[in-house]
Amino acid sequence: MPPFQDIRPRDSGRGLFTPAETEQLMRVEFERSQRHGMPLVCLLIGVDRLSTLQDLYGRDAREEILIATIGSLRRITREHDLLCALSDDRIVALFPHAAPALGALLARKLLEAARDMRFEREGRSLRITLSIGVAHNRHKEAITFDTLVAVAEEGLVVADSAGGDRFVETELYQLVEQQRRARELEAQRARQSGAAPASAPAQASVVPGAPPVRAPKLGDTLLDVLSGMGVRVDDPDSLDKDSLTRLLFRLQDERAPIANTELADERRKNDVLERRIAKLVSQLGITESELKRIAQLKNIDLGIASIYRDIQGLGGQDSQGERKREMMAEIFAANFQMKREIEARNGPKA
Amino acid sequence: MSESSGILYVGLDLGTSRTSIAASNGQRATLLSYVGYPKDVVSRKLLQRDVLVGQDAVDRRLALDLYRPLAAGVIQAEGPLGEKNLRAAHDLIAEIVRRAKPQPGDLVYAVIGAPAQASMQNKRAILEAARDSVDSVILCSEPFAVAYGVDMLDDALVIDIGAGTTDLCRMRGTMPEDADQITNTFAGDYVDERLIEEIRAFAPRAQFSKEMIKAIKERHSNVSRNAPLVVVDLPVEGKPLPFDLTDPIRNACKSIVPPIVDGLAQLIASFDPEFQPRLKQRVLLAGGGSQIKGLDRAIEEEMRARLGEGRVVLVEEPLYAGASGALKLAEETPAEFWEKLK
Repeated sequence: MPPFQDIRPRDSGRGLFTPAETEQLMRVEFERSQRHGMPLVCLLIGVDRLSTLQDLYGRDAREEILIATIGSLRRITREHDLLCALSDDRIVALFPHAAPALGALLARKLLEAARDMRFEREGRSLRITLSIGVAHNRHKEAITFDTLVAVAEEGLVVADSAGGDRFVETELYQLVEQQRRARELEAQRARQSGAAPASAPAQASVVPGAPPVRAPKLGDTLLDVLSGMGVRVDDPDSLDKDSLTRLLFRLQDERAPIANTELADERRKNDVLERRIAKLVSQLGITESELKRIAQLKNIDLGIASIYRDIQGLGGQDSQGERKREMMAEIFAANFQMKREIEARNGPKA
Repeated sequence: MSESSGILYVGLDLGTSRTSIAASNGQRATLLSYVGYPKDVVSRKLLQRDVLVGQDAVDRRLALDLYRPLAAGVIQAEGPLGEKNLRAAHDLIAEIVRRAKPQPGDLVYAVIGAPAQASMQNKRAILEAARDSVDSVILCSEPFAVAYGVDMLDDALVIDIGAGTTDLCRMRGTMPEDADQITNTFAGDYVDERLIEEIRAFAPRAQFSKEMIKAIKERHSNVSRNAPLVVVDLPVEGKPLPFDLTDPIRNACKSIVPPIVDGLAQLIASFDPEFQPRLKQRVLLAGGGSQIKGLDRAIEEEMRARLGEGRVVLVEEPLYAGASGALKLAEETPAEFWEKLK
């Protein structure tokens, strides 16, 4: 859960409610939607490489980019939608009475708006992209506001780690809700035993009288992995073997061009290294045998200059020997002619 | 064996930016192609040397008259600095041969790679510069030496990207003729100049020297679309500030791809049509410029777009491919040829 309570003075300059006020409004709105069975969508938005841009172009540039992003967000939102900047410059937006499908639509609009934004710094045009996490309250496990925001946050993390300029709608409601419940139980147990509650998410534990907390099972883990790969699964129960295979094939098709490029690059590097290693191994073998041979010729000194001749040169039979001799004869003839010209001009070498 | 009868074969890649040597005694060395002489008596006394070569010369350049004798790929033996350039080339070759550690009394036989289309005058200048350091010398075209080193003698195209020149050479089983070779100046120095222009355009207040830009390029050069972010500190009015140079570096490095493929297209189009497809599949990329990440793929993509297909293979060791090929050539040259060229 992002720290809403961390209020910074400049937030008021961006024209939004303070984080604490907005959080309260959002919680109320969420409860109202749950009570009346109304749909609601939550977006968590981050500007890609914002800290790097600040390092490069200063704090003013960061502010300008954030204000422009909020401006874009305002243009696609309604009066009663709620916006808030979090302490780490991410923006959370809550859209009451918005169907789940609207989340993706809004995210796409925002991404396009960001791509169209133009910032000039030091004569250079800066391209701005966003990462967006999308969540909605129609999932049966999206029963608290904290879960909703945590799921959106997971989406944002996945979008950002995949390179940004995209939105991700994960289906981690079940996992997040389980973790939340586990934390609650841990806190409850700690209160009962008089110890301080652990801050980290607790593992599944059994408290007398409380319902058992299920540890994530294989299906949940699979959903988690899939969502981490940017694949949205609407109904986890429908994930049979065929649909999973189709899903993986689709994913493979989408990723193939990128993976192929990366694979080709790595293959090239490997190829060069393997050729180099093979050459060195071969040279090492020849060096060893050559040194053995020289060691046996105790009374004959061939001179250090000669021992590498076989190692670095041809050594043995060469299928192109005849052709090479012809080429060398041509090279020699051209060089001999040049030598004679130089000698005619400067006199023979002393 | 008498002390004077040992023969040390060396292959030399005399480049604008770097000079490399590979020797038959297993020694290999590379030097920046810079030579410096103390500016005055004071600097002479401070440096305790008459000649500084390579990185030493660059590091102490403020106290030196600095020469880059092979600027633009060949020894600049003409013009007002001609004599001094020739002397600098002479000292550069003497130093690199010394680093091959010949034994006292060894005869040093050298094959030196020269740019593909070096003029007769340029070749003479190289021979004169090498005269005192080696006992016998053979000049051959640099890309030919690279191809010889990896036994790609027929139906192959060699791209040798140096600092001063990019040499393209078509191998067809015989000695390459003039029509088989193209030399252009879209090489490392050109990339440096483009990078300087790009940086000046978007960061006019940033201060930098050519050496700084060259170092940045050598460290971060990349033409891939998914190249990592390159953030470099450059001084602005004395204070280092970070600049995002990802796009300028990519643009500058990519600028040499179209002229290279122009040259390749020219060499392919004038080749026997039956063997053109094979030629396109055997393109060897060498030279210091081949260390630009993703360049092989960028050339392949450009070849596919313009010539329908293309496969580019990187040499294993960009710094030594020319020198190793020249060494191989030296070792295989019959003894009588060396004797006659003494």
